[in-house]
Amino acid sequence: MIDFWKRFSRNRSAVFGLAILVAVLFVATIASLIYPEDPFRLAGKPLSGPGLNGFLLGSDSLGRDVASGIAHGAKTSLLIGLIATLAAVFIGIIFGAFSGYYGGRIDDLLMRITEIFQTIPSFVFAILLVAIMKPSIESIVIAITVVSWPGVARLVRAEFLSLKNREFVQACHTLGMSDLRIMLREILPNCLSPIIVIGSLMVATAILIESGLAFLGLGDPNIMSWGFQIGAGRTMLRSAWWVCTFPGIAILITVLAINLVGEGLNDALNPRLRERQ
Amino acid sequence: MKIINLLGTAVLVTLLSLFGVAHAQKSGGTMVFLVQPEPPTMAGYVSTSGPIGLLAPKIYEGLFDYDTAGKMIPVLAESYEMSADGKTVTFKLRKGVSWHDGKPFTSADVQFSIMNVLKEVHPRGPNSFKEVSSIDTPDSHTAVFNLDNPAPYMMRAFSAYESPMVPKHHLEGQDLKGAKLGNNPVGTGPYKFVEWKKGQYIRLDKNEDYWGSDGPYLDKIVGRFVPDASTRTAAMENGEVLYAAYNAIPNIDAVRLKERDDIGVTTDGYSMINPMALIEFNTKEGPFVDAAVRRAISTAIDRQFMIDTIFFGYGKPATSALSSNFSATGLHAEMPNYPANGDIAAANKILDDAGYAKDGNGVRMKGTFDLIPYGEDWRRGGEYLKQVLGDIGIQVDLRYEDVPTWLKRIYHNYDFEMNLNYFYQLSDPVLGVHRHYGTNMIRKGTHFVNSSRYSNPELDKLLRAGMTQPDATKRAAIYKDIQTILAEDMPVVNLFELEFLTVFNTKLKDAYGSAMGAYASFGNAWLDD
Repeated sequence: MIDFWKRFSRNRSAVFGLAILVAVLFVATIASLIYPEDPFRLAGKPLSGPGLNGFLLGSDSLGRDVASGIAHGAKTSLLIGLIATLAAVFIGIIFGAFSGYYGGRIDDLLMRITEIFQTIPSFVFAILLVAIMKPSIESIVIAITVVSWPGVARLVRAEFLSLKNREFVQACHTLGMSDLRIMLREILPNCLSPIIVIGSLMVATAILIESGLAFLGLGDPNIMSWGFQIGAGRTMLRSAWWVCTFPGIAILITVLAINLVGEGLNDALNPRLRERQ
Repeated sequence: MKIINLLGTAVLVTLLSLFGVAHAQKSGGTMVFLVQPEPPTMAGYVSTSGPIGLLAPKIYEGLFDYDTAGKMIPVLAESYEMSADGKTVTFKLRKGVSWHDGKPFTSADVQFSIMNVLKEVHPRGPNSFKEVSSIDTPDSHTAVFNLDNPAPYMMRAFSAYESPMVPKHHLEGQDLKGAKLGNNPVGTGPYKFVEWKKGQYIRLDKNEDYWGSDGPYLDKIVGRFVPDASTRTAAMENGEVLYAAYNAIPNIDAVRLKERDDIGVTTDGYSMINPMALIEFNTKEGPFVDAAVRRAISTAIDRQFMIDTIFFGYGKPATSALSSNFSATGLHAEMPNYPANGDIAAANKILDDAGYAKDGNGVRMKGTFDLIPYGEDWRRGGEYLKQVLGDIGIQVDLRYEDVPTWLKRIYHNYDFEMNLNYFYQLSDPVLGVHRHYGTNMIRKGTHFVNSSRYSNPELDKLLRAGMTQPDATKRAAIYKDIQTILAEDMPVVNLFELEFLTVFNTKLKDAYGSAMGAYASFGNAWLDD
């Protein structure tokens, strides 16, 4: 663990990203403490500028507090990012593991299915899915999962293909281990590092997709999110810049932080890079 | 000498006045205006869809138009005469009018338009001409309407938008909804259809053989389709388009453009449309079956706040089930339970008195609130209303779906509890308001009728009486009773009268004069340079 942290901290920007991410996580956890009211609450004079009428970052067209929205939106964004990514990684591992390990017909079948999903532009597909299911937090998570898993499946399949003929796997075969056990206990742990890296980057993508959907009015109307704030404020960009600027900055730095952390993980976990140092 | 002088002065005055007239209205030029969104067809006799209304009345004409005071202006009919019992209406039609293809316009066209087209396929025609049992055509320029009962409201439905006269020789014996005329309109109006470039524009040219003595003055009018709102605003700003009605320019931009000298903004021209924002309740099942709850909701809402924050000050708080625009005919009466600024305390008291106690979290009841999926403004409205309802202990979840799903939910399946919506109240309550409340208007599957399934025999009787009562004072009394009942029962809570905005370049003159506003003909419009 210490060894891992040493390698991770060698990448300065990764540490910087981690610091921001921790800060965002902190804001998300204490959102209900610093802003106990509903973020949709009409808190005061509409379209107050930052610092005016008791609004730290201004208020939007209905008089809702932008800062409160950002704090509560952080929770939404991170939660959606995390859950969707976990689900996508899970599905991706199942598809990738089976098709990589068994090959042949099963591989063909599973990869053709994966390709069907890969050929549709992911954001358009997500819009379609949410529009069909009615915008809600569940449908958004499902949509993001559905468009994200094929990448993981491809990666896991490639790892399995390269690992399945190694000596240690063959040794397992001769010991009479079951296929499932070999997959889960022997091969999978050996390809975890690239999965962790791609997973961390997928969290960032998931946040962006959620924001994009909310921006287009396909967010859950009962849940505050950054994309919703930007969508609601974009028509008045010329007269009330703060309504969408601050949530925009929040998305920017969060996604940046996650990407930096992802790169740091890549450096720390990738054995080839390890040797390069 | 004196006489000659006088004569000379007279000639001079005449010349000057002639010159003046010539100066006042210049001929020529192309007028580009925004049509948003692109219409599906140009068949105004089949659909009342907004964008069709912006184009078709330039090509087709009605028997009458209405000025801003509501007075009838003769168009294809020169005059009408109503029998003493109100059951026979005789129209004298204008002579020398021809269709754009050269065929003469006759009483047979009127008969065909009303009986075979409007009464059959028009969304509101069956209602407007419900009482018309037959039309006689004693000669080619007289049409006699035979009515089962007096129908005073019918006289307000003769505009080109509401009841266009269509050429019999192009439609007879055809499938009306699929006829070729739908996309290649042939009318009698001041402009002729020339070209429809899908996704770009529709071009109409001046009708050189128009029957009117003055106008049309413009050589060409072009309706452009621009899907993106900020591009539309930019086109208006740089003078590319001269006219944009029905909020084609968003309110927030209109407020900004108003400051410029060369751009004007008006709310005129919508009194015959009369849009009203409202909440429909399911009165048969769910949490809002009790009228007291609905009254409490109406009492709590700060209507002025919604107008100020969401519609930038354009709108008027509702004060009864009828729009205040009906004051012109004496039908509107102010009612209690519609406070302009909302009264949370009073609303809470109504609910307390009705026995709905708050639980530990201050919640009396829960529900789902559907929002009309017509854009961001309505979402903001829903978000505001959710907060207000929370203040009086009604916790709602917002639901925002796509248009077909929403229509199906509200008007086919009645699978809703409360619904934010807006209705056109039109030029007479019979045309636009009755459909909301009458028991006979509980029509499963028909859009924009009585989805509350509110049914009150007493009200039904009053509605029937209001429909056939020709006397204005008696009619006003009937509608006062109607509004009193509705202010008490509130199957629908009226929020505010929407005010649509028309943004125009000040180069464009006389685009108005008709109560139909943008749904009128542009027949007198001209360009000043």
